[in-house]
Amino acid sequence: MTSVLWFQGGACSGNTMSFLNAEEPNVVDLIVDFGLEVLWHPSLGLELGNNAQKLFWDCARGERPLDVFVFEGTVMNGPNGTGRYDMFADRPMKDWVTDLANAASIVVAIGDCACWGGIPAADPNPTDSTGLQFHKRAKGGFLGADWRSKSGLPIINIPGCPAHPDWITQIIVALATGRAGDIALDDLHRPQTFFKTFTQTGCTRVQFFEYKQATMNFGEGTRTGCLFYEFGCRGPMTHSPCNRILWNRQSSKTRAGMPCLGCTEPEFPFFDLRKGTVFKTQKVSGVIPKEIPEGSDHLTYMAHASAARIAAPQWSKEDMFVV
Amino acid sequence: MTSVDLFVSPLGRVEGDLDVRVTITDGVVTSAWTEAAMFRGFEMILKGKDPQAGLIVTPRICGICGGSHLYKSCYALDTAWKTYVPPNATLVRNIAQACETLQSIPRYFYALFAVDLTNKNYAKSKLYDEAVRRFAPYVGTSYQSGVVLSNKPVEVYAIFGGQWPHSSFMVPGGVMSAPGLADVTRATAILNHWKDNWLEKQWLGCSIDRWMQIRTWDDMMAWVEENEAQYNSDCGFFIRYALDVGLHKYGAGVGNYLATGTYFEPSLYENPTVEGRNAALINRSGVYANGQFSEFDQARVSEDVTHSFYEGNRPLHPWEGETRPIDPEVGRKQGKYSWAKSPRYEVPDMGRVPLEVGPLARRVAAAAPGAAAHQDDDPLFLDMIQKLGPSVFVRQMARMHEGPKYFTWVMDWLARLELKESFYAKPVEPLSGKGFGSTEAARGALSDWIVLEDGKIENYQVVTPTAWNIGPRDSLEVRGPIEEALVGSPIVDQEDPVELGHVARSFDSCLVCTVHAYDGKTGRELSKFVVNGMV
Repeated sequence: MTSVLWFQGGACSGNTMSFLNAEEPNVVDLIVDFGLEVLWHPSLGLELGNNAQKLFWDCARGERPLDVFVFEGTVMNGPNGTGRYDMFADRPMKDWVTDLANAASIVVAIGDCACWGGIPAADPNPTDSTGLQFHKRAKGGFLGADWRSKSGLPIINIPGCPAHPDWITQIIVALATGRAGDIALDDLHRPQTFFKTFTQTGCTRVQFFEYKQATMNFGEGTRTGCLFYEFGCRGPMTHSPCNRILWNRQSSKTRAGMPCLGCTEPEFPFFDLRKGTVFKTQKVSGVIPKEIPEGSDHLTYMAHASAARIAAPQWSKEDMFVV
Repeated sequence: MTSVDLFVSPLGRVEGDLDVRVTITDGVVTSAWTEAAMFRGFEMILKGKDPQAGLIVTPRICGICGGSHLYKSCYALDTAWKTYVPPNATLVRNIAQACETLQSIPRYFYALFAVDLTNKNYAKSKLYDEAVRRFAPYVGTSYQSGVVLSNKPVEVYAIFGGQWPHSSFMVPGGVMSAPGLADVTRATAILNHWKDNWLEKQWLGCSIDRWMQIRTWDDMMAWVEENEAQYNSDCGFFIRYALDVGLHKYGAGVGNYLATGTYFEPSLYENPTVEGRNAALINRSGVYANGQFSEFDQARVSEDVTHSFYEGNRPLHPWEGETRPIDPEVGRKQGKYSWAKSPRYEVPDMGRVPLEVGPLARRVAAAAPGAAAHQDDDPLFLDMIQKLGPSVFVRQMARMHEGPKYFTWVMDWLARLELKESFYAKPVEPLSGKGFGSTEAARGALSDWIVLEDGKIENYQVVTPTAWNIGPRDSLEVRGPIEEALVGSPIVDQEDPVELGHVARSFDSCLVCTVHAYDGKTGRELSKFVVNGMV
């Protein structure tokens, strides 16, 4: 049995709800077939009040072995470093995080908030929120750049707003079945198996992208054009497998005509949601996208784009996914 | 007379951090204080941002009602920008919003509520062994299918919105998607699968049509006894068990209700306005207080922060609302005890009063006289509160009753999509304006008030169902709905006060949106006695 304790700091429960959508394995399979022992979870835990507090203290003091500590939500330091914006079980949540992270063999940050600070840390960051081991892209966060869990691993970051259920279940199963050594992490501590490819990988509108054909209007979004040129889609610059493994087994934001918001990257929400940045591509000289696909440069991009536009076949200008 | 003060932290399974303080006198709760224990400052983050920022930020207020946040946030902009919304887009918004609630119904029931029905408190009931067999977490015969199959309705959400939770696919003027034939076929098939395998087979034990014939409490009791399938279904069993262990005897609450309504008849809301909203609603809005129905008017809403950890000393309408947090340690010295504000509603002839929101409030609103042809007209729950009184049980049944109802509506909306017509009309974006958007999240009325100036958000205030239900006392020292509902609850075992959990959970409050329990008689700081006698 692998013991798991799941806490929520400055969270919206989105990752928990996403986790409950898991199907292979589903949340019951995890318990029944994979031998996870969920000691407590904010939605699924049975104990309340002092019975719950006793369990938490037993883990925090090392009197009850804790294999995996899962944290969802930001760590709140406000106001003035006291952590009193987020009280849990009669003490600041940040104090529970310190104790439980140090007591656990492995610590997993689920969702953007726990990884990087997420939306609560967006300007002006009223709660002084931060991630477990990063603040935005800067290493450090709440626990510090050099922090390691008892097993010698840094925080394993599973970002996304929310994280996809498969990313959560597959990493937890890997940890529970002794495969922690198989998880290769990138420089942001994300499992490479999920976060090496781009959101664009597998996007059904990638041929529109190749020929530089833009979606010009919402509502036709599932059928025609690419969302990168006008609507601020971050698919080419974002690391995630959203279009490889799909959401809810059905679709993805870009497939449904919604621009990727880049929610697995530390900068989300991009541009701090300033005026004119929401669902709008930021451009240089009003024409060239300010941000271009990873690994390219503006000169190469422009050369490629003009050639592609000339090469664009008629079908790439039409509705490809007709009723 | 023995009197003890109990502090339960955390209460758990209410989504977010709820603490409850109660005074128990001779085994019955005589006063209660609910404390929301977390503040995230989303309204502060939104100030000065892009007008559409709420479409990205407010769904992240709550991952459970994220789609509902998106829906009302979008209507707040539609009304502020004075958009045209094509009928297709209204239908897609309705479908997505209803699918989020269809997901919540079984997930809430099995994972959050029914687990407590296996508490040893009820071991003397002759139905206890059966309750454990069905509802035990993870291994119960009904638990797994109820929880796991709840992911099906949100698969339909993903077909239209790309993913659930946390899509932002609704925009002023329509929706981003333009579904095709395959999308509609697939959505219909998924919902039918869910109906066949959970809603009718496991929950009801009968067809949706048969269930919808129930119009009174007597009808419901007759339905239980009608045949073995209904008697032994999860619904039939829950009704029998709840009455056996007394869930119909406590948790009444304030007895006054508010629904802001949701889902629009497309032809009646092509140009969304605040004034035209009530008449276009399918799931009706309305206020029921002191036994009288009245029409919902957003202008009558205000928020009070007398006992909330914010600066300010007078009730404000949300367009003028303020969110200025103060350190809880400082706030406590001023008698403040929660991060939830206290929304109040000015009822004609009653003054500013707390109102319960949620499925029961919606069901009561659906019983008001004068329903238009496109509107829900359903007398069942007004009959139930008149015959049984409101309680944990009635609140639960109201929630579950919405499953078959919304299912039928979604199927109708799917059939009405005109796939070759438009799903979006590009709006002209004004630099300034005021908007109001509202919906019924699974757990109740959820509304945004937005003020735009200079093409930016000047003020953004969100009033959640949690705030309505879990909010603390107001300037008149009147208890919030859950505080009031806790009063009168019998506590059998102070070491394990499961009844407090039942009451709080019957509201399905979602604290990430916005709870601790204190002494109602005096308002004084309670002693440090905690459950299990730990100090």
